[in-house]
Amino acid sequence: MDDAGFTKCERCGQPIYEKDLLTRFNVCPHCEFHFPLPAPERIRLLTDSGSFEERDRGMTAGDPLGFEGYEERLSRARMNTGLSDAVVSGVGKIGGRPVALAVMDFRFIGGSMGSVVGERVARTIELASAEGLPLVAVSASGGARMYEGVYSLMQLAKTSVALTRYIEGSLPYVSVLTDPTFGGVTASFATAADVIIAEPGARIGFAGARVIEQTTRERLPEGFQTAEFQRDHGMVDRIVHRLALKGDLERLLGFVA
Amino acid sequence: MILEFERPIRELEERIAELHRLAGPSAGLQAEISRLEGALDTAKRRIYANLSPYQRVQVARHPDRPNFRAYRDVLSDDFYELSGDRFFGDDPAVRGGLARLKRGGHNVVLLGHDKGGDTRSRVKGNFGMAHPEGYRKVKRLYELAGRFGLPIVVLVDTPGAFAGRGGEERGQAWAISADLMALARAPVPVISIIIGEGGSGGALAMCVADYVGMLENSYLSVIAPEACASIIFRDPGRAAEAAEALKLTARDLKQHGIVDEVLPEPLGGAHKEPETAIREVGDALDRVISGLSEADPGALIEARHERYRRIGTHAAGDTG
Ligand SMILES: [Zn+2]
Repeated sequence: MDDAGFTKCERCGQPIYEKDLLTRFNVCPHCEFHFPLPAPERIRLLTDSGSFEERDRGMTAGDPLGFEGYEERLSRARMNTGLSDAVVSGVGKIGGRPVALAVMDFRFIGGSMGSVVGERVARTIELASAEGLPLVAVSASGGARMYEGVYSLMQLAKTSVALTRYIEGSLPYVSVLTDPTFGGVTASFATAADVIIAEPGARIGFAGARVIEQTTRERLPEGFQTAEFQRDHGMVDRIVHRLALKGDLERLLGFVA
Repeated sequence: MILEFERPIRELEERIAELHRLAGPSAGLQAEISRLEGALDTAKRRIYANLSPYQRVQVARHPDRPNFRAYRDVLSDDFYELSGDRFFGDDPAVRGGLARLKRGGHNVVLLGHDKGGDTRSRVKGNFGMAHPEGYRKVKRLYELAGRFGLPIVVLVDTPGAFAGRGGEERGQAWAISADLMALARAPVPVISIIIGEGGSGGALAMCVADYVGMLENSYLSVIAPEACASIIFRDPGRAAEAAEALKLTARDLKQHGIVDEVLPEPLGGAHKEPETAIREVGDALDRVISGLSEADPGALIEARHERYRRIGTHAAGDTG
């Protein structure tokens, strides 16, 4: 963000009033580019005013491997975001209907999935089961949290075992994929949903385009791994503009919740 | 192929061979030969007993290391291969089928990453890096095992799921996620042994299990040490340090309670004496399958759920 209340859209290059960006939840008013959205803003966007109650707020990451630089990286992320880890979870209402909600925040170490993300997502799934609520997860993640090594990898298994219980029931699970969602998060809970919604232009995949180009030297087509690409390949149900997302979820939950 | 740290051993071996050649039938050089043989034995023990994590990764990747085919051929007396994901194709990077194990006569569904044995089969099997159709074939076989009450036995050996255009177009992440879910609810014993490389999600899709064993020099990691060094230390040259930091060896993972057992390898690694390593895996399989054969399907799923639900380190937050 620049001074004087102006910023420049990284997609179309047009100047934007920061105030406009704020009221449009980080969507460019000129080209509709969806900038990443902090989790608290996402919760404000999706839930009925004043209805959200955060859970497991005090849970904090350990440093299971004593990995060089991790503690420092964690405290910097906490300071910069005001969050304790890369997901905020709890219960809120969407169009008057209570849901269990987990929302990731890419600003926190690239939305990487460590033990706290895995545990909060698993608890949100269990909360939804216990209280008979629909489950909504909003992802934004670069993948695994390398600093936690194999513990990070095991969060894929953790969220998956928790989900197998939930889907035995008849409650819906809706996954919303935002820019960017990759790696361990897409290879586990984010793609195991009844309905998958993605934001326009969001980059979604397993391996990042740069890694693919480096390892295979393949030329990747225009729009590779965008939400639209994933929908065209049958991987995503719908693409929904951020400002229409709440209404879209209300419609969906009206059918299945 | 000679690994860097094996060089002193190779040099001693060459000198001994040379002396034998020079001495011919005479016993003249016997004293010197014996001395070198003693030194060789000491060097082997010193070097192989103290392999660093990154050296173990190199052993795990050794081209002569026994692969899925070797285990399959030695351990089963009938392997009835099943192919294809019924949708796109058959991925030779993973293989599976019905198998009868020689030890104990157990009927199982046997699966594994196939790294191949020579250049042609290595390329064909994409070095054990599967595409989505591979992971979907695997899921099909998990479900088939469940339907017929056969234990699922998986031999894990992959650098990771393939990162490429085709894989992304066909939903690599979706396929892996579906495997994790399928294993989580499989109503039969799931037994995984990591025989070489355990690369990230592509390995995990085949080792959410009731028993996870690891050969002594195999590894399991969220990321390759080279990639970790590039990203975290911004220096691919620090791969050895990254391997150390990631705690990816069998012993580390046993200590952290992630895996159940470390299976010993012959001195120097499985490639030095493949039949010994294969026998070790065969014995473990017989023991574990026998131990789980009477298990109730519901109890198995419950215990597997508890196992993976628990893994993680976080300071407890308020639950209210
Ligand atoms: Zn714009």
